[in-house]
Amino acid sequence: MADVAEQGQKSREPGLAKPQTFSADDESALRETLKRCSPSTIEAAIAFRKTRDPEKVPTVVIGVIERFVEPDIRPKLREGDDELRLVEDLGVDSLTMMEIVILVEDVLQMQINNDELRNLRTVGDIKTFIDCKIRGLPLPKPTRHLPVEQIAAVMPIQPPFLFLNEASIGGQGATAKYKITGQEFFLQGHFKDNPVMPASMMLEALGQLGVLALIEGIIPSEDGRPVDPKTIFFTSCEGVRCHRVCKPGDVLTLSVKPKRAKMPLATFEGTIRVGQEKAAIAEEITLTFGYAEAVATPPNAEATGSGASSGNAEAGQNPAPGASEAAAFTPLRELPA
Amino acid sequence: MPKVYLTGIGFITSIGNDVATVARSLRELRHGIEVYAPFQKPEIPVKVAAPVKGFQTDSVDCEDWTYPERYRVKREVLRGMGPNTLYAYCAMQQAIEDAKLSEADWSNDETGLYAASGGSPYLLGHLMQKMHTQGVMRCSPLGIVAAIAGTVNFNLVAHFKIKGASTGFSSACASSSHAAGFAYDEIALGRQKRMFVVGAEDGNLDSILPFAGMRALSLQTDPAKASRPFDVARDGFVGTGGATVLVLESEDEVARRGVQPYCELAGWGQASDGHNVAISHPEGSGLRLAMERALKATGVSPEEVDYINAHATSTPIGDVSEAKAIHAIFSPSGARPLVSSTKALTGHGLSLAGAMETGFCALALRDGFIPGSANITEVDPACADLAIPQKTEEKQARVVLNNSSGFGGANVSLVLKRV
Repeated sequence: MADVAEQGQKSREPGLAKPQTFSADDESALRETLKRCSPSTIEAAIAFRKTRDPEKVPTVVIGVIERFVEPDIRPKLREGDDELRLVEDLGVDSLTMMEIVILVEDVLQMQINNDELRNLRTVGDIKTFIDCKIRGLPLPKPTRHLPVEQIAAVMPIQPPFLFLNEASIGGQGATAKYKITGQEFFLQGHFKDNPVMPASMMLEALGQLGVLALIEGIIPSEDGRPVDPKTIFFTSCEGVRCHRVCKPGDVLTLSVKPKRAKMPLATFEGTIRVGQEKAAIAEEITLTFGYAEAVATPPNAEATGSGASSGNAEAGQNPAPGASEAAAFTPLRELPA
Repeated sequence: MPKVYLTGIGFITSIGNDVATVARSLRELRHGIEVYAPFQKPEIPVKVAAPVKGFQTDSVDCEDWTYPERYRVKREVLRGMGPNTLYAYCAMQQAIEDAKLSEADWSNDETGLYAASGGSPYLLGHLMQKMHTQGVMRCSPLGIVAAIAGTVNFNLVAHFKIKGASTGFSSACASSSHAAGFAYDEIALGRQKRMFVVGAEDGNLDSILPFAGMRALSLQTDPAKASRPFDVARDGFVGTGGATVLVLESEDEVARRGVQPYCELAGWGQASDGHNVAISHPEGSGLRLAMERALKATGVSPEEVDYINAHATSTPIGDVSEAKAIHAIFSPSGARPLVSSTKALTGHGLSLAGAMETGFCALALRDGFIPGSANITEVDPACADLAIPQKTEEKQARVVLNNSSGFGGANVSLVLKRV
């Protein structure tokens, strides 16, 4: 018993980079462990264990997730959409997440800590996370997810002109969803008896996501000062192409990635998809921005600011952008990983 | 106090997986005992058991399990279950259908669920072994929910969205009779309008063989002779598993829904031996008091009792204790209720026994028969003054007692009446 326990311990030690011997017994044990996964998952796992090739990892991870989701949801996963959300789109609850983690740990011989799991919300999050662990790279800044209330609380742009229902801010960029409800004011005349989201509004939505990304600190400032929301304005865009007409009921998946930034200009590339279909791209959207006057509020004041933003009804009802706003969203950005 | 009626039953048992099959098995004295494959090893002296049919739950991986096609259980539901819970889940679906309940009827503040199960020693053993050999973080996240004794109430309450009272009972072989008794109280006291009562056991190697150590199991190899309560040559009980779900409802609910109940659950009594942790009192003192209390609570005189479904498990000591307790209550007035133990057919279901045998009594009351006490070659002289029918009698009982006794000397007697 003691020997077995010791071996068990050893096999879980990190040592991920160096290939280990992989016996026929190991292979049959691995096949047994993965017996409910697709053949391609099993082959990828065997190849990974033999070569430690990180390229095999996404197939294994997706294969393990697939094994635990209900059969009718599996086709969604096969479409390869990294934006698929574990809970909302795949029906993965926290217990199923643990099952996924245990199997991934077992198969890839790695250890995942509970606190690392909290930030994993989409299939893409998991892929990136596992990839960094395997390659020994620093983990990406955790993606933060903002529901519509939180977006509205920080944005200078407000309904009915706000076209972001929810957003995720990650290290590489920002994504958001917007569902065209059919009630948007501009659909009344665009077009006659044929509501279509104007291309200019689609571009506006991408720009809004850029604004949110700036406010949420996607471009780090050198002296820790936050971006002042009321300083952000549209400057220019280049290379805009629309590929698909978007109508009421469509859910737009918006994404922006910073291409370059130097005060006072930040340039993003942006895309809009509906499901897997490309709807529009903008090669460059450039916004101008400035930093808040004051330096970052010290920790004590931050805590107060955070409390004020949620507890002060006046601020909540009338989120006028300003210095106090800046203080309110500062703690958000500095939440521990 | 409002009357309490039994309006639905679900059975997953060694003698049938639905009401009709179980009723036929009882009437025709068809047993569910077989030479049990997992026991066929030289080092295991016990050879027979009464496993449920139509299910395969031998694997520690619930996704390997098979079960009758009429049931559909999602993986995310199954993963928190031991075999006993799966049986209970299936029996619950039957009971709901049998009682003609809609989801609005059962998922509300006025409907509760009391359950009894010994948990899944089999899964718990696997879980512990995995924890010790592979590390604590490799335990299945829901292993503990699937394995411990509350698994049946945890799962059924969550999956069927029960909103009223719920808990589990743990008095070993008296557990599900305790569940039925306290469920009766919930309705009689006006706290709930409807209660599900569930008894369930794995009935596999790990839940049965630990009783071999106390020499409580029959070593007979002939399935037709192994379980023979009240027989002079009885040598221990035969293990079984499965599940039974009973639906109890207040008289108002029965009237509102316009359903025909099986019978009335008129009341109950309980008492303890205060004697030995595992051996029943030689004079059956606790069981005697439990029966006396049950009769008093329901205003039934000994002469009015037509049939007693005895706890009698086919152990040498237990059957005689019960015979003495029955004798002490009924003989003074010359009353001779028919006494039989249906464990001759099913084996002993432990936490399942009370609910299962209450279900059997309900069938006897509805269909007008008294199940015989099977497999008796020669009645034990110590039980000779009881009226033990060895064949099923076509007789309509009006009042029936169902006895159960558990470890620690816990005893429960339930009183059922014809409607």
